[in-house]
Amino acid sequence: MDVAAQARLDNLLWAAATVIFIAAGSVLLGLLARGGARLARLSDAEGRKIFWGVFFASPWIIGFFIFVVGPALASLLYSFTDYKLGDSMNFVGLDNYRELLLGEGAHGRRFAGAMYNSFYYAIIGVPLQILTALAMALLLNQALRGVRFFRLIFYLPVILAGGPAILLAWRYMLASNGGFINEAMSAAGNAFFLFDWLKRTFIFLVEGFNGFYSGIVRGDPIGPLKYFIPALIAVLFLSTMLRGEWSDSRRSRLLRVSEIVGAVLGMVLVARGLIALPIDPFLIVGIGLILAAGALSAHRNASPRAATAYLVSGIVLSVGAALMAIATPSAEDGSAFSALPYLLASALVAAVFAGALVASQARRASVLLIGLAAGSLAVLVHLSAGQFDQGQLGLIFQYLTFQSAIAQPGDLAYLQETFPQASLSAFWIWGGMIAFFGVLIALNGGNAKLQRWLIVGGTVVFALLAVNSLLDTLRYFSAFNDVAAAAGVQNYHFSLFRQATQVFPDSQRVPLWMSSELWSKPSLILITMWSSGAGMLIFLAALKGIPRVFYEAADVDGASRVQQFFKITLPLISPAMFYNIVIGVIAALQTFESIYILQTPTTQDSLASAAYFLFVRTFRQLAIGEGAAVSWILAAIIVFLTVLQFRYSRWVNYES
Amino acid sequence: MSTLQHTPDLSVNVRPGRRARYRLNLDARSIVFYAILIAFSLFFLFPLVWMAGTSLKSIEEVGRPQLSLLPEVPQWSNYGNLFADPSFYRAYVNSIFVVVVTLVGTVGSISFVAYAFARLEWRGRNLVFALMLGTLMLPAQATLVPQYVLFYNLGWIRTFNPITIPGFFAGGAAMIFLLRQFMVGIPKELDEAAMIDGANPLQTWWYIILPLSRPAIATITVFLFVGLWNNLINPLLYLQKAELFTMPVFVAGKFNLQESPIPWQTIMAASVTFVLPVLVIFMFTQRFFVQGIAATGGKEG
Repeated sequence: MDVAAQARLDNLLWAAATVIFIAAGSVLLGLLARGGARLARLSDAEGRKIFWGVFFASPWIIGFFIFVVGPALASLLYSFTDYKLGDSMNFVGLDNYRELLLGEGAHGRRFAGAMYNSFYYAIIGVPLQILTALAMALLLNQALRGVRFFRLIFYLPVILAGGPAILLAWRYMLASNGGFINEAMSAAGNAFFLFDWLKRTFIFLVEGFNGFYSGIVRGDPIGPLKYFIPALIAVLFLSTMLRGEWSDSRRSRLLRVSEIVGAVLGMVLVARGLIALPIDPFLIVGIGLILAAGALSAHRNASPRAATAYLVSGIVLSVGAALMAIATPSAEDGSAFSALPYLLASALVAAVFAGALVASQARRASVLLIGLAAGSLAVLVHLSAGQFDQGQLGLIFQYLTFQSAIAQPGDLAYLQETFPQASLSAFWIWGGMIAFFGVLIALNGGNAKLQRWLIVGGTVVFALLAVNSLLDTLRYFSAFNDVAAAAGVQNYHFSLFRQATQVFPDSQRVPLWMSSELWSKPSLILITMWSSGAGMLIFLAALKGIPRVFYEAADVDGASRVQQFFKITLPLISPAMFYNIVIGVIAALQTFESIYILQTPTTQDSLASAAYFLFVRTFRQLAIGEGAAVSWILAAIIVFLTVLQFRYSRWVNYES
Repeated sequence: MSTLQHTPDLSVNVRPGRRARYRLNLDARSIVFYAILIAFSLFFLFPLVWMAGTSLKSIEEVGRPQLSLLPEVPQWSNYGNLFADPSFYRAYVNSIFVVVVTLVGTVGSISFVAYAFARLEWRGRNLVFALMLGTLMLPAQATLVPQYVLFYNLGWIRTFNPITIPGFFAGGAAMIFLLRQFMVGIPKELDEAAMIDGANPLQTWWYIILPLSRPAIATITVFLFVGLWNNLINPLLYLQKAELFTMPVFVAGKFNLQESPIPWQTIMAASVTFVLPVLVIFMFTQRFFVQGIAATGGKEG
């Protein structure tokens, strides 16, 4: 008998054995449950019911223990070891997690790269996917003959995209040299100059953006740009508030958005910050500030349970941080580790939260306000000294008065060291922003005039920060350019970005798709857009759920189609939108098949998702311990996102 | 103009009688919509057509830059060569075998377990049910690594067991939930009548609930089928031996960067044979898919 037939026969025998095993296990579990019922002095009829229930549920219960609980515990154990298949197992503590979360070492850097890729898919890919899905759903929501047929076609890619066959077809179509897509683009460009111009612009934009992104992933310093993003977000928030009255629904929507942003940011900070040794004691104060602002907003929103949750988590945080500080050994170079700043910071945070917890409901806000003020003051004092990148206070004044913060633009070492890698170290701007909004929320309703002035003043300050940090970024990049030109060095500081943006592409250029790291991610996104039919079905169901009367009333009021879309359709399908976003982000982390089929040795790292990294690390290099740590990090992120989805699935307040 | 937008419920069950409402009135607006719909459809169908067209081209034609969708001369021998390849047959039979065994085990055990959650009243049911729904949150990757170690220690690498056996333990919480929701809707009186006639729960399940749940069972079968047929990662991890390869691994393995020129016509011919069953099943059972999506949010399998 040949090998395959033998294997199939073996498998059938195993399947039969499994059925017998499950049947026996079911009876046994059922009898056990009935025995338990008897011990609990339940009636015989009740015991019989329990027997049958457990008997029928047993296949799942047994499988749950064998394939979920057991493996989950084992993997938690492995994640603290350096286990490799067929090798001995040594306990290494948190080393795997530290390497992965801090991006240390070769594998840590590759994991960080995979997380950056997933982030790219989430911020660029998911919105494009959702737009496609929404466009499809809106089209199919028209009362036209044959929409059912079109729905069939629109959905077809979803079931095909799971398998390797259609992905290979895509790979062939995307071949940079002679592939259909490039040939079609060139032919269109030759036929009509406008298409040529479009193609070249497309190439310019994609290569410029991806060159920039790969510079960030590589860890090239981004300089003052890191202050631009928080400042811009603050301006966006404040300008929303400035637009007329700060109505309750708008306020609560803003609060929810900022809660989500805060939760995500807080999780990243906690994961990265607390695992690093030694951590900055002010991180504890910073997280304390975020939690205090959260508690305050929950309190103002009249949800005492949420406020209590914030307070309790603040206390847990500070106690945990204090314990960690006490348990931390001295550094390897012999310098003694002082736990004192940590204990002080923890005590400060814990005192505020404990005070707010025991204070009466009426006093709670003022305790939190005092805490916020004290924390902000501590941060300010800390800021006034210290290194530049930790957010010297002088920087803010420089930006407010249109000065450049770059003291020695001709010095390469200065440029590289004063602004280290793109990281979250612009945390102080974030902290300041959160403290500012905390004060705003606390004041809400209390003193309308002061609040108005604060909003206007805050807008001006953050707008100045945003504009001037952007201007300084340009100076920073051109300073690097000058230094590089003078030294004749080519390959550093956003070299791919420079190459891509130096000249506008000529007519001969074509997209390189899978053969270039600048194009691999856009290729993958194109394929996910092609298979976004699942999101379409969700949108379609939401669209069908909108009562027609809304549109009829809007018609009577003379609202245009565009107004109807933005004022009725979009708000009412926003739960579906949020659902699709979360599902899309989770799917981006888990992408595997398409990367496996589409990658080449040169584009592998620029494509890898978290799941693909897990696959390579565990099953190609057999590093079980580290793979287990990756899978736990991945699981934590996904569970967090799912909880977020449940919590905010009704994030839009329907104004009744 | 309000006849054109926001008509209620075109969804799954449009009764024949209602179709009369949608007359084909081609005003400017609907012509625009049809044009967009057709443009979208071309985008979605194109890779499939491209695949079929390429599978009939000659190696010379595949080698040059090209815009033509159809082959100059259809090369049916591409398929002849593929069918003459014993490893292709083996992979196809392996795939069918794996999918059938897994489906029997999974659907059987799921219908068993769903019955416990839907029709039986017992202490602890809600707890176990909540636990089961909780596993929906857990991503497959969380247990992938230790499961591999488990199967490695069982000596199951290079066998079909890691692929087929876990299904027998009611794998797939979403599918259990879907079937359970359906079973809850079956009238209670039927069970009670059976009980009075002296049937035990096992008999009630087999003679009453299972036959009545056929539509939902069809839904989960079709849905699971596509996921299993397409599944690449498990065969890739566990089979590791050319004789055991299923179609996804076989098709993926046909593609090899080292080869020059890459024999796309052969790869695409294998792809067509791989996609065909899914396509046929989808065409005939698409309404089941819509229900499956509603239950799972689009995650397959």
